[in-house]
Amino acid sequence: MVNGSLDYGKAEAEFMYLLNNEIDKFNAFFMEQEEDFVIRHKELPQRIQKVIDKWGPNGTQPSEMEYKEEMAKIRKEIVNFHGEMVLLMNYSNVNYTGLAKILKKYDKRTGGVLRLPVIQKVLEQPFFTTDLISKLVKECETTIESVFPPLRKKRNGGKMAVPGEGIFKNTVAALLTMQEIRRGSSTYSHFSLPPLNLPDFDVIQSLQVPSPIPIP
Amino acid sequence: METRPALSIQRPGGRQLDNCGASGALRSSLPVLPTPQEEKYPNFSHSQQVFVERGLKQRLPAVISSLPSNSGVVGHMFSSSSGFCNDLHFSSVQQQEKYPNQPPFISQSPNTGSSVLVPHSVDSGVLQSTASSQYNKDNNDLWCTNTIPDFLDFPINTAIPNSQFDCSNSGGVGVPPEDLSKPNDWQDWADQLITDNDALTSDWNELLADANVADPELLCQSSKQSTSISMQPHISQQLPATPGETCNADVQSPPTNFAPGKQRMRWTPELHEAFVEAVNKLGGSERATPKGVLKLMKVESLTIYHVKSHLQKYRTARYKPETTEESSERKTTSIEELSSLDLKTGIEITEALRLQMEVQKRLHEQLEIQRNLQLRIEEQGRYLQMMFEKQSGMNVLKGSSSTNENSGVEADNVGTGFGENSQMVGEKKITRG
Repeated sequence: MVNGSLDYGKAEAEFMYLLNNEIDKFNAFFMEQEEDFVIRHKELPQRIQKVIDKWGPNGTQPSEMEYKEEMAKIRKEIVNFHGEMVLLMNYSNVNYTGLAKILKKYDKRTGGVLRLPVIQKVLEQPFFTTDLISKLVKECETTIESVFPPLRKKRNGGKMAVPGEGIFKNTVAALLTMQEIRRGSSTYSHFSLPPLNLPDFDVIQSLQVPSPIPIP
Repeated sequence: METRPALSIQRPGGRQLDNCGASGALRSSLPVLPTPQEEKYPNFSHSQQVFVERGLKQRLPAVISSLPSNSGVVGHMFSSSSGFCNDLHFSSVQQQEKYPNQPPFISQSPNTGSSVLVPHSVDSGVLQSTASSQYNKDNNDLWCTNTIPDFLDFPINTAIPNSQFDCSNSGGVGVPPEDLSKPNDWQDWADQLITDNDALTSDWNELLADANVADPELLCQSSKQSTSISMQPHISQQLPATPGETCNADVQSPPTNFAPGKQRMRWTPELHEAFVEAVNKLGGSERATPKGVLKLMKVESLTIYHVKSHLQKYRTARYKPETTEESSERKTTSIEELSSLDLKTGIEITEALRLQMEVQKRLHEQLEIQRNLQLRIEEQGRYLQMMFEKQSGMNVLKGSSSTNENSGVEADNVGTGFGENSQMVGEKKITRG
């Protein structure tokens, strides 16, 4: 058996040790963020209600100006909140991909069989079980619909807002990166993801802020 | 005996002798006190069952992790504990902390399946504390916050998930055999180390014997349970390092968390709602105290540490928006001046936000798809591996050719062709080797 020698077992154990450290970090960060999101998710509708109650047309101090301003702020906040949650899911996904690749490489280099059992465990880790976050995202979308004015059909064709801000920029980057990662590899196997073809790839790419660091 | 007065001094709150469930391991810097053995040992005999009993009363703060160092070996590191009586875990923690002094164990890599067994997660330094914290985490239930502070100094990362992995690995890797031999070793050590204290020796050995006997069987159990454990929404932690009671406990009461302070709690919306309710009952986020909230919530696996941090987050979340509201009122006058300008930019802003939303939704959609794909792929991989192992189990020689065909067929169905095929065969060769 390959694992007969103590050395091999030791090396593998060390590898697992490092891997588990990283997984711990993922879990810790993820759960920390998740907790924050759970709290904010609950608070948001209450804040919206407060604004409506205070400055809305039937509120205690009706003021269109205040109402508009506050609602604009809230809209921005909700959209960013939504973005943050999606980015957390992205975090989860990217790390999972990383782990899968590392394990695959390990098996390839050392002839081990760690990949399958370990990845099964990873699938159950808190950081990968993003169902709750996904649910919060969907609920957030519903809330957003309620606070946004009805959609106007006429879109601003020419001018496309370039996302300079953190969240939007990261979201665009995440999408493009995802496509990049899945583009195709030399070791395409049963366990690889199919290539991703975003239908409006051009549009999304145009949203990307050019990198300040020139890449030759 | 002579230590008893000392013990009571250190434990002003008094120790609950009947509380055997308390098993957190806390390393404090209290001077070592041989503990009053008699009181504890009756508890020890029940330790396994006792530990399994959840919902035990709160432990006193500053539970001490280890045996009094009768052997000078571990001396300064340990302090006597009141919670001592409770555990098997204590013994394992102690053992673990003693391990660094034993070279053979240090050479063991921490993550061999042994990490499932607390004592095995050897290696001095980090692991020492890790193990303690790990141990700490295992001994769940309601731990007072005091148990945590000491551990805050330690690098708490590691060891815990290791056990999961190791358990899962044990099938494919030759690690377990090593592990299984270990329990015997530390029983020997335990004997060596405790020889000084007559009163202790017998009982510790008994305990360790229990632990050791339990371990090998529980290694497998724990691997299964770790899976179930990690799936629990409330439970943030992965496998408890200690086999024995923890595993048993998990079987009996899966939802309860086995962590004292440092273990992460996974806050679900339902849990948070219960929290908010409790806070509101106590008069709002400013007036509510963690202790009060904890009492009101009556959630077993929740510790005061969890509540404290959650309350802090909650207060921040509420406080910030309120301050911005105040400041916006002051800006009213300046806003009116810019009203016309505002309207245009307001629309633009809204459009920009919509665009952002679209992109975010798209990313979310893709992430969901990707995640589902990954889950399916792994599931199929696991299924194929299972089929594969069945085949090879049945007939070695025949198995390889028929397996090739089988996996070939299935691989085609999945649409992979050679890639997966060769990988599977490759894996098979490796396991065979």
